Amino acid sequence: MTIDEEIKKEVEDNKILIYGKGTKSMPMCGFTKETIVFFNKYGYDFEVIDVLRNVEKREALSKMTNWPTLPKVFIDGQFYGDTDILDEMESKGEVEPLIKKAFATEN
Amino acid sequence: MISQDILISYIHKTMPDAEVSITDRTGTMDHFQVQIVSAVFEGKNLLDRQRLVYQALNEPMQDGRIHALEIKAKTPEEAAAA
Repeated sequence: MTIDEEIKKEVEDNKILIYGKGTKSMPMCGFTKETIVFFNKYGYDFEVIDVLRNVEKREALSKMTNWPTLPKVFIDGQFYGDTDILDEMESKGEVEPLIKKAFATEN
Repeated sequence: MISQDILISYIHKTMPDAEVSITDRTGTMDHFQVQIVSAVFEGKNLLDRQRLVYQALNEPMQDGRIHALEIKAKTPEEAAAA
């Protein structure tokens, strides 16, 4: 499976997915930790995929999303950047309905 | 490390009308909060606005002069209303 196919599958298999540095239990970067704290508030299941040492996958992700930094968040298969974007969306009450919709379409 | 006026010159290369205010978050000249007001953001959602700023600052981000960037991208109307 190519890196792009691997990413595509991971994005489809996880309603909420964070590509970051470190794991859910041991984040290695402040911004990844911030994103985990952000989603813990909502109480829905989410996945953290550590790409800290996987340069090839990080480059594929950056190219695919036209976004140079980590973490990268996908909700229901859509890319939403990081907590800079999500905090702003949350202040407009856009995050909760998005997550509810993602988990409502249980296939 | 990067000086604020070099950072601003990068932004002005792609957004000549931009009004830029920069806060050095940690005093180490590599963790910045950048507020940019430019008409180029009109009609663009948050993600695309940030993409524009990342593209403008791509070089100093790739070579590590900038470690962390918090971006506030506003149109002139939004800035005036704030």
